[in-house]
Amino acid sequence: MTDHPAELHERRILGTELLWAFGVGVLIAATLSVIVFTALTRDINPPSNVERIDPKTLHLSGEFAEQNLGTTVTADGGVTVRVIATQFMFVPRCIAVPRQRRVTLRFATPDVVHGLLITGTNVNTMVVPGFVAQVHTEFPRSADLLMPCHEYCGLGHSEMWATVQVVPEDDFKPDQDGRVSCAQR
Amino acid sequence: MVSADQPSAGDVPSEAADPVDEAALAAVMRVVPLGAAVLAGSAVALLVIGYLAIYLLVFLARGMVG
Repeated sequence: MTDHPAELHERRILGTELLWAFGVGVLIAATLSVIVFTALTRDINPPSNVERIDPKTLHLSGEFAEQNLGTTVTADGGVTVRVIATQFMFVPRCIAVPRQRRVTLRFATPDVVHGLLITGTNVNTMVVPGFVAQVHTEFPRSADLLMPCHEYCGLGHSEMWATVQVVPEDDFKPDQDGRVSCAQR
Repeated sequence: MVSADQPSAGDVPSEAADPVDEAALAAVMRVVPLGAAVLAGSAVALLVIGYLAIYLLVFLARGMVG
């Protein structure tokens, strides 16, 4: 018994569709593999940190009190930057970081949802009231980078930005308290 | 303006025979899937090339984040 031409066409189309589905499956698998490979070999991951903080009192004591904001170098050489994102400014407005050295950026907000990115880098995160946003990164080149708020936070949103001053290791000199401020230029 | 003696699509009986030649239809249907696959494949290939170019040349070049 021979197949009706219509059945033959349908079978052929089904074959094409299955082939296409296989190709798409290969593409999705390849994309996911690239992401997993770079995550494992180059330490590139989506910033993920679930850490609660009381937005009503974060400025009164603890790590986000005014005297603790900015760049700090700990005894073991770790560099941590603490910044408060508030309507409509980042505190401090300029942060100094060393070039080609792992830096931990920590952000908190006492008011509304903010967001930030650092131009020319992969740093990009939301800052949500009640949580500490944390990003680890390395800055490959010396430069003054713009760090704007990228989540609409009110009428002054467009004025909310800070500067990230990436300096060579030789110029990155902490004071006796381990603090580093932006160079005046 | 539409004239009164102009034929209307509604005048054609729905059970009218399809004038398409079966052999010609079969010949066309043999190449249609190939054309669709080439078109869709080219579009997806361009998309993947764009993704890989940005991923490899921009995203990875910007360094680690996590």
